[in-house]
Amino acid sequence: MDQGNIVICRCEEVTLKELIAAAETYRCSARELKLRTRAGMGCCGGRTCRRFIDMVARQATGEAPSHGIPLGYQPPVRPVAFGQLGGVIG
Amino acid sequence: MSATGRIEEHPILGPLPERSVVTFRFNGVPMQAYQGETIAAALLAAGIRTLRLHEEKGTPRGIYCNIGHCFECRVTVNGRTGIRACLTLVEEGMEITAGEILPTPLKKGGHPA
Repeated sequence: MDQGNIVICRCEEVTLKELIAAAETYRCSARELKLRTRAGMGCCGGRTCRRFIDMVARQATGEAPSHGIPLGYQPPVRPVAFGQLGGVIG
Repeated sequence: MSATGRIEEHPILGPLPERSVVTFRFNGVPMQAYQGETIAAALLAAGIRTLRLHEEKGTPRGIYCNIGHCFECRVTVNGRTGIRACLTLVEEGMEITAGEILPTPLKKGGHPA
């Protein structure tokens, strides 16, 4: 099986191939990789793929750069509908 | 209840407890389940594993973590979206609809509107 087809981010269906291509083309940190490929922005909040994105980024840019902003945990912890925020739905 | 995916006679836990039957609708199809079952369990017992399609790519999705973390089992219940089927118990007269692929007309090769 072609390793590249492994889906790393299940929520956004980002494959290993896409992550590696983005990481090597732009030599980006984990956070930039997330911004470029949406991996880690899915409904589960990066629970599944956060570590893999870090690993792919570290592999592409050698040691993790000190200034690199770690892949933070962004609120909300659980997905919230705008309707709930606006009090439209319960 | 038709020949279902339930374990009627468990070697250790014994027979299924007596529970009232609840009728609900999944995508407009009337279905039955026992009181106290989650939506995911009720649909799985009825042989339905696809609870939604991936919003962008249309890949069929269903139960994954079954403990409320991954949101793969999110369905629309009585008009409210993003309801986790694995945590929500089936209630009488529930209207459950599976998630569909969403249009992505602006994306190269995206799903038309």
